[in-house]
Parts: sequence; C-alpha cells; structure tokens
Amino acid sequence: MKILVCIKQVPDMASRFKVNGEGVWYDETDLAFRMNEYDEYAVEQAVQLKEQLGNTPDVTVLSIGPDRIVETIKKALAMGCDRGVHIQDNASFRKDPWQMASTIAGFARDKNFDLIFTGMQSQDRGSAQVGPITAELLNIPCVTTVVGFAFADGVITAKRELEGGIRAVVKLKLPALITCQLGLNTPRYPTLPNIMKAKKKEILPFPIAGFLQEKELTATISAYPPEKKGTGVVLEGDVNDLVGKLIGILKEKTKVVK
Amino acid sequence: MEATREIYWNVGHGVILPMYFFAFIAIAVFLYGFYRRFATYKLGKALNRHDHLLQRISLLLKSTFAQTQVLRVFGPGFLHALFFWGFGALFIGTLLVMAQVDFTQPVFGWIFLKGTFYKIFSLTLDVAGFVALVMLGGLLVRRFFVKPEGLDTIRDDYVVHALLFAILLTGFVVEGLRIADTELVANPGLALFSPVGMLFGKLFFLGMTPEALSRSHNILWWVHFFLSMGFIVIIPFTKLRHIFTTFTNYLFTDLSARGSIATINLEDESAKQFGAAKVSDLTWKDIFDADACTTCKRCQERCPAYATGKPLSPMKVVKQIGEVAFTNPQAVLIETVTEDVLWACTTCYACQDICPARIEHVNKILAMRRNLSLMEGVFPGDEVRTAVNDIEVNGNPFGLAFAARGEWAAGLDVKIMEQDSNVDILYFVGCYASFDKRNRDIARSFITICNAAGIRVGILGKEEKCCGEPPRKLGNEYLYQMMAAQNIERIKAYGVKKIVTTCPHCFNTLGRDYKDLGLDIDVEHYSTYINGLIINNRLTIKPSVFEFTYHDSCYLGRYMDIISQPRAVLKAAGGRISEMEKSGYASFCCGGGGGRILAEEKLGTRINAARVTMAQAAGAPLLVSNCPFCITMFEDGIKINNCEEKLKVLDLAEIVAARIVS
Repeated sequence: MKILVCIKQVPDMASRFKVNGEGVWYDETDLAFRMNEYDEYAVEQAVQLKEQLGNTPDVTVLSIGPDRIVETIKKALAMGCDRGVHIQDNASFRKDPWQMASTIAGFARDKNFDLIFTGMQSQDRGSAQVGPITAELLNIPCVTTVVGFAFADGVITAKRELEGGIRAVVKLKLPALITCQLGLNTPRYPTLPNIMKAKKKEILPFPIAGFLQEKELTATISAYPPEKKGTGVVLEGDVNDLVGKLIGILKEKTKVVK
Repeated sequence: MEATREIYWNVGHGVILPMYFFAFIAIAVFLYGFYRRFATYKLGKALNRHDHLLQRISLLLKSTFAQTQVLRVFGPGFLHALFFWGFGALFIGTLLVMAQVDFTQPVFGWIFLKGTFYKIFSLTLDVAGFVALVMLGGLLVRRFFVKPEGLDTIRDDYVVHALLFAILLTGFVVEGLRIADTELVANPGLALFSPVGMLFGKLFFLGMTPEALSRSHNILWWVHFFLSMGFIVIIPFTKLRHIFTTFTNYLFTDLSARGSIATINLEDESAKQFGAAKVSDLTWKDIFDADACTTCKRCQERCPAYATGKPLSPMKVVKQIGEVAFTNPQAVLIETVTEDVLWACTTCYACQDICPARIEHVNKILAMRRNLSLMEGVFPGDEVRTAVNDIEVNGNPFGLAFAARGEWAAGLDVKIMEQDSNVDILYFVGCYASFDKRNRDIARSFITICNAAGIRVGILGKEEKCCGEPPRKLGNEYLYQMMAAQNIERIKAYGVKKIVTTCPHCFNTLGRDYKDLGLDIDVEHYSTYINGLIINNRLTIKPSVFEFTYHDSCYLGRYMDIISQPRAVLKAAGGRISEMEKSGYASFCCGGGGGRILAEEKLGTRINAARVTMAQAAGAPLLVSNCPFCITMFEDGIKINNCEEKLKVLDLAEIVAARIVS
C-alpha cells in the first residue's frame, strides 16, 4: 500500500500577527511555525495504519513552501513517515486552493497512491478545499472532517463530523482521500530514536513549476484584522451588587428586561 | 599481682583449632554471600566512583565512625550510633584478644592486656556492651512496640534483634560465670573493672559450685561463639548486609555538583536506548544502592509526594530496583515501579539529602523518566504534552508568542541585548517572570533593585527561551538540549560576563547543567546577588518591620546550600522570621519541581495546600519565597486553603524593592 500525507507549515496561532507590506497576507516577522494541527492528525492516522498493516505500507509526506518547511517535514518523518517530498515555492501563500490541489495532484497523478490523508483545513487560510479538490483532480472518492477511521479487508470505515453534533459513518474502497478533523487521534510525540532515524530519511526537493501549470482562480484583494466592535465588560464585586448592575445594563442596552 | 585475666580460661587453649576452623567457615560463607551479589551489581552500566580517593575515604571514615548521616535524625539516629559504637568497641576488644593470644604472645612473648591497660580495656568493653544492650533495647521498643508509621518490619528484623540480644547477653553471662569463679572472691578489686560482668556474677552465679560454674561456662562460651559466627554468616543474607554496603556506599558517594544528571550525547548514533527501562540500563551504583538501603524510611518520611497520598515512596523505588535486579533482571523495571510513581516525584531532593546511606534516589527516577519520554514519548498528562509542545514551538510552556517574551520590561530601564549588550549583568528572566502576570511583578521588582544599585541590566527578550529545566526533569533531554543550545548561542554571542536569575531552576540549569553544553560563566541567584549588593553598600534599603515565614525553595536550599543569605536580606529589610517546622535543608517542596509545575496534580491531596498549611502554622501573615514556581503554587494553595485574608505570598525581590531608598 502506498500512502500520501499532505501537510502544511503554519504560524503558531498564539503569534502576534501583522499584515504584510502588500496587504494581502501576514508578515512573517516574529512568527513561530509549526505543523498545521489537522495535518498532525493526518500524519498520525497514516502512521497508525502503517503499524496496523505490519509496517508494509510506504508513507510519503508532502509539503509545499519555502525552505523553512523542511523542519515540519522532518517532524512528520520523526513521527513515522518514510520519505519527504518538498515542493519548493517561496511564494506559496499566493497560491489559492485550486493551485495547491493542482500541485499535489500533479505530483501524485502517476504514483498510484492508495490512500491520501490531508488535514481538514489549514489553520492560517482555512479554506478546507485543498483535500476535496485534490481528490476530484485525481478522480478518487473523498471523505472530509473524519473523526474516526478504521481499515479492514480493503474497506475504509470513516466517521464524519457533521453540523449540530451529528456523525455519519461512511464506507469506501481504496483509493481514497481522507481529510482529518480534531478528535480523530492523539498525534504521537516523536521518540528520540525516531528523531535520529528521521535525520537519515530522504527529503526529495522538487521545484513547484514541474507540477503546476494552473493559474489561480481566486485572488486575495486585502487582508486585515477584524474591526473592533464594542468591548466586553467584566463585572466584579459582591454577588448582590452584581445582580443589580447586570439588570441595569440589560434594561439600558437591551429590551430583555423592562 | 598485676591486673589481667586468663584468656581461654576454663575452655583451654584446645579451643583454638576448632574455633578458627569454624571462624574460617563463617568468613567463607560471608564472603561467598557477598560474592554472589557481585554478578548482579555488574548488570549495571559502568560508572567511575573511584576518583578523588582520598576525599572518598575521608567521607567514608567520617560518615561511618562519626555516624554523621545517621545522627541527622536524632532519636533513632542516637540509638543506632551508640549501639554501633558499643558493638564496634566489643568487636575491637575481641580483635585485641585475638591479636595477643594468637599472635603477639606466641610470636614475641608480648602480653599487653595487663595492668592499667587491662583495666581500661575491661571497663571499656563492659560499658560498651551495656550501652549496646540498652540501645538495642531502645531500638527494639521503637520497632516492635512504638511501630512508627512506614517502618516495615520483616523476618530479618526478628532474626537480627534476637541474634544481637543473644550475643550481648551470652557475652555477659560468660563473663559473669568467669568472674564468679575467679574474681568475686579471689580478686574483688579487679571485678570492679568489669561492673556488668560482676553484677551478672553476683546476681546469678554466686554460690554455684566450681564444677557447675565451669560446665555452664564451657557450654555458654561455645554458644556465644557460635552466635557470633552466626552473626558473621547472616550479614550478606539479611539487612545486616548494610554494615558493609552502607559503609561502602559512603566510599562511592556521588561527588559531582549536587543535582547533576548525565548529559546524554544526542549525536551518538550507536545509542539504542535512552534512559532506563531495565535495571541493566541503570548504573551498577543504582543496583548497589538498593543493597545499601536499610529501609529506615527517612526518605519516605520527607517525601512531599508520599506525604500527600501519592503512590511514590523513594525507599520503595530503591528497593524495587534491587528486587528486580536480583530476581528478574530482564523484566521491564518501569512496570514494577509504575508510571504514576515516576511522575509523582518533584525532584525536591529531600530523600537524597537525608539518606543515611547516601543513596541517589532522584537520578534513578529521572533515568526511568528519560525512558518514558525519549523512548516512548509518554507524558504525565495531556496538559503536559501541550506545554512541552508549546516549549518546542514558542520557547515557553504557556504557548504564548515568543516575540512577547520581553514585553514585561516595556518602559523600564532594561537593555535588550540585541540592541545594546553593554551591561553589567544579563538577567535571565525565565518563562514565569516573562509571561505569568503574578511573576512579572517580581521581574519588575528585581529591575527596580538593580536600577537603585546602579547596575546596568540586559535581557535577551524574545531571544530568550525556556532554560529547558522542566522538560529535562520530565525526561525530555532532547528538548532541553534544543532550548539550551539556543540560549547558549545567544549568551555567548553577546559576550556576557555574568548572569543573574530570579528562578532557582534557571539558576541550577544555567550555572551547573549548561557547563556540560559549553557555557561556563558566572551565574548567580538574585537572593545572593542582592545580599552582596547590600553588604557592599551598593544598595541601601530602609528597613520596615514585618512578620514573615520563609519557604526555602528546593533548588536554592537543598540543591545550592543557599539558606542563610535570603534570610539575611529579609532581616536587613526589617523582617522578623517565624520559621516553619520544616525549613532549611528539611524544607517541604511546593509541589512545582521536577516539571510538575506543568502537570495537574491528580493523585492524593495537593502538595501546595499542605505547604500553605505549614506556613499558616508558623503564625506569620506573610509567606516569602524566592522561586516563581513556589510563588505560583502558593498563590494557588492559599486559594485552596481559603486563607487569602490571613496569609499573603511575596517574593524576596518584592520585599526589597518596596524598601528602596530613592
């Protein structure tokens, strides 16, 4: 079995974000980068499946971006992926989901992957489109927002998270693409022997031009922090006084209490 | 007639041959008993514990013959020490007899057990035997009647107590029988130099016929002899083995800086195992320690985890290593010890500090934690996993933006090294003082103090990372070294001459542990630094009276011997101290050490609440400490104990900063 995991390096969400000079994306100064959270579930699920099948599957981890993303690829290798693919692109933030998916499909098309894992979405752009578009381009079935995964006798049983806390169970055959959601698993912490082994695993660099001929379908016009609308008020003090204050505010600003 | 006695009186010189025959057998069994244990010690990894031999020997002599470690707990320590000296004197006395009768007399015709020396000899041994008997009685009452909590009594204890009593009693009986026959009537003046033997003679044997005396003496002489040989024989097979193993353990004491842990070579690609999963992953000393343990339970008694109902007992861990090593050395040691036990340790060092056998508890636990962390990627809880990931990404356990690390200093007279590195000291702030709201006040207070003393202070700001101590103590050597390398690179780049920290954990790590990674500069904790500023008149503070109790943080007191200096600073500030029952070297951990600051305390009761209760008992309205972890734990403990109105927590720097003369 051949497995592909697609991951993205994103800034840590606790970072102080500033809009970049062009005003279309964030400035990279003072940002700490890490693996996109949902992609960690994807890596973990791929490695768990590899272990379940007696380590026979071959797991490739792919990421698109500048040189700094190699650190994140190494983390995926330390978690248990077999080889890395670094699709080099110093301006990956300019690529829209269509172009990202086209790049992945361009790489994967002739390699006959049986199963592709991606994150449900990235924490920075959050389009949640790259996985499904990739599946469409490769003409394979896709299940999104997966919170439960089992594989037996060539059949995947995937549990999907739907709106309103509803879950759906889907069964499908290989090949397939799965996008992973929080709750699917607990990503492992790489052990030291695996970190050391990962240093020897290959990371194949490819210029993005070799896989991407598509133009973007969407354009970012402007990026900006949301406008501040009003502020929260924290009431402090004795409970009896608080009740009075709260009723006062409700009377003054709403129609709930008259 | 010159004072002396006939050696081998009544039994005759004919006993020499059978006596030595049996003695050699006893010694052979004794040696075999220890020899059999060597193979198990050798299961452990190599470790050099025979450097600085003179220092080791002096330590051995002092600890053994002056019983310095044993006497640190007075009650049972006193009983043991006096028993040891009494029994030791009897042993030396027996050797003197042997030396004379079997060596100096037949070879040189020299008899030295005579005259005044004989009188001293006789009196000393009688008193020694009496003291040993009484102390043994005291120990017996303690063990079998008082039964202190945690003191486990096993088969060995019955055997050892019975045997020692029998040896001492038959000794006096044999002496009494001899004195009844040879001295009570014929030489009563000499009998006075054997007061206990004389008493035995007078009370029990006066009036017996010479034949009865002789027969009884003969029989009991052999009984005493065989009991004594029995004593030698059982040493390696019972708890008595501590006579040799504890003694030897003093010789093998860890002489490295207190708190040192081996820095793992992460570049070594041939290494297959990190930390200890099996006993063979520990050192030979770790296995030997188990044999040196007397299960005196002093470690357990002082352990904050044990005291608050957690499954950890340092004594039990040490014993389990021995049990696994001797019974099932291939077994996974951690399965016996259990993860809960390993994660419960706060590395407070109280166990190791008090151990009369100088056993090294903490590093055994850390070695096993290293296996859990580095080999299995395990954490004590999901909150710790998150914190460790946050340290990896942002260099702090809170997961806050690394770029915000220096923001607490905005508007203060502090230089950011990146902009201006011309400073007197580098203040290594640490994660808590950088990010935690409560602890930021302490960082600011420290700057106020330095400003008042005219010290130019620099900080690394966003270039500073966690020192790596909490993850290291959780076993994650990899992350520790990753953090350390980044800090060391920056510190070296700015040519820093001196570092001051407000966190004892940073202080220990930068000052001691970073040496192994190539950083060797002067690192000081602010408590001694401020004390120095006051002594050298660089800092003038206006004392105002306050009542307080003081908490010695583990990593300052027990690890670094800094106990008097912070008290001196607080005294200079006008403080009147009410000491807690457990203070100084006996201080009780806040619960935040050993990486536990990142973990929720899910087992037993809360350590911080227990310590706050002790602080309340001291009666002062103010609890002062010197460590961000302690401050954090106590702020929380005060809420748990619901005593916000009665007890406040302040840091030493806050007390001083509030009294600066401007």
